[in-house]
Amino acid sequence: DIPEDVDTSRWNCKNCEFEEGLSGSFSLGLGTVSDESFKFGEYNALYQDGAFPIADAELRYRGEEADYLNLKLQDLALDSRVLEIDGGQQGNYRLMLNYQQLSHAISNSAQTPYRGSGSDTLVLPAGWVDAGATSGMTQLDASLRDLELKTQRNRLEFGAAYIPHSEWETALKVRQEIREGSKRSTGSFFFNSAQLIEPVDYVTNELDVSATYTTREWQSRVAYYASVFTNHNESLSWDNAYNPLTAGADEGQLALPPDNQFHQLQFSTGYQMSRATRFNAELAVGRMEQDEDLLAASLNPNRVVLLPRTSANAQVDTTTLNLQMNSRISEQLNVKAAYRYNDHDNQTPSELFDWITTDTFSAVARTNLPYSFTDNELDLSADYRFSQRTKLSAGYQHKIKQRTNQEVDETSEDSLWGKLSYRSDNDIDWLIKAEHAQRDASGYNLVAQTDPSQSLLMRKYNLADRVREAGSISASFNPNESSTLSLSVDLAQDDYSDSLVGLTESNEIHYNLDSSFILSESTSLHDFAGREVIKSHQAGSQTFSVADWFALNRDTTDSFGVGLKHLLMENKLELGADLVLMHARGEIRIENTANFPDLETNLETLKFYASYQLRENMTVNAAYWYERYDAKDWALDNIDVDTLSSVIGFGETVPDYSVQALMVSLRYKF
Amino acid sequence: HAQQVEQVDTEPTLATLQKYSEKGADTCLKCHDEDSEFPVLNIFKTKHAMAADTRTPFGGLQCESCHGPAVNNEWMQGDQPEDGHTVNKVKDGEQRPPMLNFGLKSKQPVAAQNRMCLGCHQGNTHIGWQGSQHENSDISCASCHKIHTPHDPVLDRVKQPEVCYQCHQQQRAEFYKPSTHPLRFGQLSCSDCHASHGSAGSTLLNKPTLNQTCFSCHAEKRGPFLWEHAPAAEDCSLCHTPHGSIHPALLKKRAPLLCQQCHSQRGHPSVALTASGLTGSNPSRLLLLGSCTNCHSQVHGSNHPSGVKMMR
Repeated sequence: DIPEDVDTSRWNCKNCEFEEGLSGSFSLGLGTVSDESFKFGEYNALYQDGAFPIADAELRYRGEEADYLNLKLQDLALDSRVLEIDGGQQGNYRLMLNYQQLSHAISNSAQTPYRGSGSDTLVLPAGWVDAGATSGMTQLDASLRDLELKTQRNRLEFGAAYIPHSEWETALKVRQEIREGSKRSTGSFFFNSAQLIEPVDYVTNELDVSATYTTREWQSRVAYYASVFTNHNESLSWDNAYNPLTAGADEGQLALPPDNQFHQLQFSTGYQMSRATRFNAELAVGRMEQDEDLLAASLNPNRVVLLPRTSANAQVDTTTLNLQMNSRISEQLNVKAAYRYNDHDNQTPSELFDWITTDTFSAVARTNLPYSFTDNELDLSADYRFSQRTKLSAGYQHKIKQRTNQEVDETSEDSLWGKLSYRSDNDIDWLIKAEHAQRDASGYNLVAQTDPSQSLLMRKYNLADRVREAGSISASFNPNESSTLSLSVDLAQDDYSDSLVGLTESNEIHYNLDSSFILSESTSLHDFAGREVIKSHQAGSQTFSVADWFALNRDTTDSFGVGLKHLLMENKLELGADLVLMHARGEIRIENTANFPDLETNLETLKFYASYQLRENMTVNAAYWYERYDAKDWALDNIDVDTLSSVIGFGETVPDYSVQALMVSLRYKF
Repeated sequence: HAQQVEQVDTEPTLATLQKYSEKGADTCLKCHDEDSEFPVLNIFKTKHAMAADTRTPFGGLQCESCHGPAVNNEWMQGDQPEDGHTVNKVKDGEQRPPMLNFGLKSKQPVAAQNRMCLGCHQGNTHIGWQGSQHENSDISCASCHKIHTPHDPVLDRVKQPEVCYQCHQQQRAEFYKPSTHPLRFGQLSCSDCHASHGSAGSTLLNKPTLNQTCFSCHAEKRGPFLWEHAPAAEDCSLCHTPHGSIHPALLKKRAPLLCQQCHSQRGHPSVALTASGLTGSNPSRLLLLGSCTNCHSQVHGSNHPSGVKMMR
């Protein structure tokens, strides 16, 4: 609002070029992809070779009364199409309609002998000959069919917002996501298993309603969120391709993700208690529910058991509370205190279930364990600004986590951290951080219901005593708004030295360099380079006594990217290029045994693009994209459908592609 | 990028600005046209320049709503300016009177810059800004947002990650790994999971807990299941890493070693699976293809009455 004492009688805004009326653009063109690759097209919808149309459009309308409409259409001809409509009267109401497709191409190299892929029942072809091992399945090769594994999410969202008063805003969002396709799963009969196609036919409906009240001193928001998940398939059953281990073990059944709901009421508030002090609070109370009818314990007619209940009756009540006080005590000193509470209270009844292992054998009855968690966390921190160039921060955190039905009832962790930010005389911004944390478990006791029981020496790493040291140093230099050079090193080390079996140590280090420069008025350059090493040690005990084997995992990823942008012909022609190289190596060593071959991935991706302005309202865009990818993965390389005697595999190949894509389009602006 | 806070002289000189220009935006636009070093005309293609919406700068004090001596100055400075100087066209040889400007090279303290934005943008998802990690790291609103442009890159799903990568370089590298969420192709953006203006958790997530954030796209894994896998119910990040992994399904490491970090039961779970189980005379079903998941495929929990071992 304009204060009364300000004279705006001569504020004519005659140079203000307010946008009015209709404007927009559309692009039409053609693209082509040289080769089919589900890995190249994993998420970008370009998984098929051949030509595809390019069709994008944007429309804008601006009225005099703050009424507006935005329309955006993108990738109209691909499985990644997007439609966004957003309109209303700014400051009063807003309506939105969005449609987005997300495609996930998983694999096109899989094969299976099963029929009915994509449905909830997989059957073997007529004439199938059971065998004790894959090598004896005489009809396997002849029965194989090629598969494409792919899922597609189609999201439709409607949104509305209404501002009844300048201090209030209300909003509603309704979203439906339909997810269809198929993905990998496996099913087994005791130790004989097969890779299976699991149908994906999900609908998730979400609702978000909120009201916000905002004044200068006090802001509050109350929101209700609901998410209702429906799976149109409750189970996946499949024929046993092996000789049944017991009579009647001819068909197996997996439970597929059950229908479930989550409802949550959330209240957030912020109150400016004084110019220096602010209080924030957030409370969220929710409930997860799942009450799907239980399947039979077995499809084996000779293995019938009575269940203690007919449906899952699963329920978890969730509560999170966050309180925070932030106070600037002086120009130099800022202090903060925060308390966090998170409770995951699993109310699912715990009962004894007679069960059948893999539709084959009767097993000793087991009790389902509903896991509950409660976190209490206190954070205290302070920043002290010694000068305009130097700020020191330090903090302390105390966190208690309680669990039910697990080996450790309570872990307690104390952390101390410090951070120094400093601008040196040559205008380099330095940031140095360090953290030390120690976590102690209240006592490690085996869970009686686990059968067979764990090694007495096992310490699960999320429950175990741990000492964490972390630190980082970074330097960044900004000679001007558009140029930057920064370097950073981050490292973290987790030491589980009290764990004799399980994870005993893990650490990671990241080096990153990043820069962007304006080389001249028409040329800019950006680049990045990084190395990441993630390493861990673990121990096992196959003699079920002392630790007798020790493993090392080391993943190293190197990445490098460089890009150049250049403007020519009075900025009418823009040329650019981007190159990214990534090399990843995964090493696994088990002490005193032969080395595993390295897991390797190489990615090279190169993009050239050009944009030429033919006329004021017309631009030609062209892009050339070359991407090469290869990988070595001992878990998949040369593993055919029948390589393993007791797993019928998909016989998939490790992705290896070299794809070129060319796209040319004409953009018309009006 | 975090900006060093420059407090020298700024507050006293700002306080010398004492009233508004005589002609409002026309004063500024005389110089700041498309040919100037700081062109601003694109502001008229943005929500801020909607004159009929009286909440916006151009429904009020125009350029000076944000840059000039506005009522917000009282909030920012603590004292209402008195009378005196007028912001007019700067003549040759004359020094520009100090004004509030924003961004990396601003001489104003970050807190003062942000207070100006918060004057209007303190509600809704910004309630938690103050005291948040970004605020605490002296990030100014203008570090991420561009105001004088019709399309602020950080609000564009495709362009947003590049804005975040300016500081979060490690994440840029992670999104080139073989297993990742689809940020590289613009299907997702950082803000699909993260609330950059502050949230309760340690990593600025959109939902109150990490698992709730994951379940907003992966509702099929939410359960609660009859037979729960304790780490899956507790924290997805015990097995998965969110940004990128060299292992399938964003796993932190390969099975069987991933599973053997917690499973040491007598029998096959505790056996060291060595390279001798690779292809050759005796390829191991415990090691190859899905390793443990060749049989225990229901690792997120099972609703089957016989699913206690995640095999049904």
